Amino acid sequence: MRKNIKNTAVLVCICVVIGLLLSLTNAITAPIIEKNQNASANAALLEVMPDGSGFESVDIKNYTLPSTITEVYKETANKGFVIKLTTSGYASDMVIMCGVRADGKVTGAKCLSSNETLGKEKTYGDSFKDKDAAAVDAVDTIAGATKTTAAYKSAIKDALNAVIILGGGSVDIRSEEEILADNLNTALPQGEKKFQKLFLVEVIEGVDAVYVAENNAGYVCVVGEQFIGVDANGTVITEGVENPEAVTTAIAKIKASTLKDVNFKKYPAITDFVISAQKTASGNFVVETKGAGYGIKGGNEYHPASGEYIIVKVAISRDGKIIDCMTVSQAETKGLGDACADEKFYGQFDGKTKENYTEIDAISGATLTTDGYKQAIERAFEAVKVLKGGK
Amino acid sequence: MDMFKTLIIILLSSVFVDNYVLNRFLGICPFLGVSKKINQATGMGVAVTIVMLIATAVTWPIQYLVLNKLGLGYLQNIVFILIIATLVQMLELFLKKFSPALYNGLGVYLPLITTNCAVLGVTINNINDGYNFIQSMVSSLGCGLGFLLAMVLFSGLRSRIDESNIPAPFKGLATTLIAACFISLAFMGFAGVVENIFA
Amino acid sequence: MNKKNNLSVLLNGIIKENPTLVLILGTCPTLATTNTVDGAFGMGIAALCVLLCSNIFISLLRKIIPDSMRIPCYIVIIAGFVTIVKLLIQAFLPSLYATLGVYLDLITVNCIILGRAEMFANKSPVVKSALDGLGMGIGFTLSLCAMATIREVFGAASFAGIAIPFMQNYKIEFFTKAPGGLLVYGLLIALIYVITKGKAPAKTSFSCQGCPNAATCTIETCSKKGENA
Repeated sequence: MRKNIKNTAVLVCICVVIGLLLSLTNAITAPIIEKNQNASANAALLEVMPDGSGFESVDIKNYTLPSTITEVYKETANKGFVIKLTTSGYASDMVIMCGVRADGKVTGAKCLSSNETLGKEKTYGDSFKDKDAAAVDAVDTIAGATKTTAAYKSAIKDALNAVIILGGGSVDIRSEEEILADNLNTALPQGEKKFQKLFLVEVIEGVDAVYVAENNAGYVCVVGEQFIGVDANGTVITEGVENPEAVTTAIAKIKASTLKDVNFKKYPAITDFVISAQKTASGNFVVETKGAGYGIKGGNEYHPASGEYIIVKVAISRDGKIIDCMTVSQAETKGLGDACADEKFYGQFDGKTKENYTEIDAISGATLTTDGYKQAIERAFEAVKVLKGGK
Repeated sequence: MDMFKTLIIILLSSVFVDNYVLNRFLGICPFLGVSKKINQATGMGVAVTIVMLIATAVTWPIQYLVLNKLGLGYLQNIVFILIIATLVQMLELFLKKFSPALYNGLGVYLPLITTNCAVLGVTINNINDGYNFIQSMVSSLGCGLGFLLAMVLFSGLRSRIDESNIPAPFKGLATTLIAACFISLAFMGFAGVVENIFA
Repeated sequence: MNKKNNLSVLLNGIIKENPTLVLILGTCPTLATTNTVDGAFGMGIAALCVLLCSNIFISLLRKIIPDSMRIPCYIVIIAGFVTIVKLLIQAFLPSLYATLGVYLDLITVNCIILGRAEMFANKSPVVKSALDGLGMGIGFTLSLCAMATIREVFGAASFAGIAIPFMQNYKIEFFTKAPGGLLVYGLLIALIYVITKGKAPAKTSFSCQGCPNAATCTIETCSKKGENA
């Protein structure tokens, strides 16, 4: 028993001595280790802000910053900020780190992780050095990587905006979709933020676009920059509208419009590329047609084409003008041809006629898609010609 | 669901890709020493797996609830090795008393495990990798199973080697190491498989 | 003890009982850290420091430490010195710390250190124990560096991080990977056998000599060898 106590005492003594030695070493090394760790953490930050002296983390919860921003570091001598963002590129998420001086110029940008096809984004950040918000758009794009470029530029813009907000300023950080949603909601709060763009089948003067509330609470008409709310009874509820009659007339016309299916059996000249056709009482036609884009004509032995046509819905007025146009379905190349489903592309056809519908900006890097789309539009014009009784 | 996926990836990668013996070189001594016969290899592998699991179950809470709270992170090494040594002793006594059959199967390997660097390695790695408790347990299970797998595979190979006529300089350990090289080479084929298993 | 005797203790560890290539101890760090010369040298020196300190300390305390409690005592002492060395490396050589990682912690269970404590330091005077630790440490470092040189020169066409110009197109990356380590180690052991013409204690199997548990261990290979310990 006494031996046991003695043995334990020895072990405890050794433990205590070693423990003391350890805590002594720890007291000496702990500050140095902490300094080292900070230095290595700062190394990445210094790469995008080479003249920074030290950095401290900023709690981003205290600010309303663009949603892409994940981390913010403040340069301790108030030279600026380093912003870390995650944005979606062509293939997967890209993590970008961007240093911004207090005067709103980029000190450097770096892609920390990405999986883009060309890998050019790794060095692309250098192009943004010393650029300010106005100059970002003018930076050369990465050839053949439109989506990567766009994602990179929008990330840099987000970082620049964030620095304005962090500096106490305010800036509109909403995306285009968010701005549109906000405008619609202001014009017609009853719509409960759920709106759909109306496919126009009637010629309406003085109104650029019409949105309908999904809960049937009414419509929102866009005239120039103005969003005008119209409730379910057809009354204009937005104040300060210059020409409310134009809006009420337009809504009345839309409500009164009726569509009647056209029976193709009477028109043997209609090709298989025309899927369906409808006619309004006012003599306009709504036609759905197929066009052969990259999905049919493209592809190679390594990347077979999808085999899907681009399906387009076009409303053509009695006098042969395109009233409205939209993409019903497409399976074009992701990141390139799929831009044909974007309103920025098909919106270009509005107001065009059989003579000038080809005068639109092509989708960059997707010639086959653009041609396929034009083919679909051409078939729509042909179909309308047949339906009108021509040959 | 994501949590489940993470756990499966941790398990599979610690068994195949980051195999402790063949890729990270932890626990080489018992791997070379006790893999002559398949029953020895199995016994050792199972014993290591069990000790790894128990050791992780004890060291993880101690690290997070005691050492980190008291700012004594630098005592990690001493505390862990003492815990492992104590656990092994206790397990041995327990088996001896309550299950002599199991003791005969596994108990004899237990004293060798105290200084098995795979056990200390897995407990420290779990902390360094920032795994939570469940992930740590799964990782320990994976490492143990990986160890068992390597031992059993290798014991089969060694019984063939023992029957072969080998040039004198290569007799013994030299051939054993070169044979281990080929098993390790085969395991390198798993690299990249596990990461993309859900992709 | 005369001078010659001391010298032979020192040289013993470097050549005759080289821990890695002859006694076959400390295999894990030998394989794991020898893919670069930097890492191998750092590992060797770190182990040397721990070995030297623990040998001195254990030799000083050899009369106080009770026989039945010796293993836990050794483990505490060794783990303590390992942590001290680790903290110092972390503070003053952060890049080496990043290279060695968890293997630094695992010096604690390196059988060379426990083995020397058990086989030498607990029955020898302080000076001899220190020399033994130094010799073993140098022997360990040298054999690690030799192995790392082979692996790095052939595998990465560089030596201690300095690129070798004319070899750049002939890298055999296999050597820097895990299987390469096993192959080189096996070949080196065979080479030592050839050089010493088989006089070096050729290991027919894995050595249990340094294993502190050898005496209690009941596995056949261990119980046989354990009698030496």
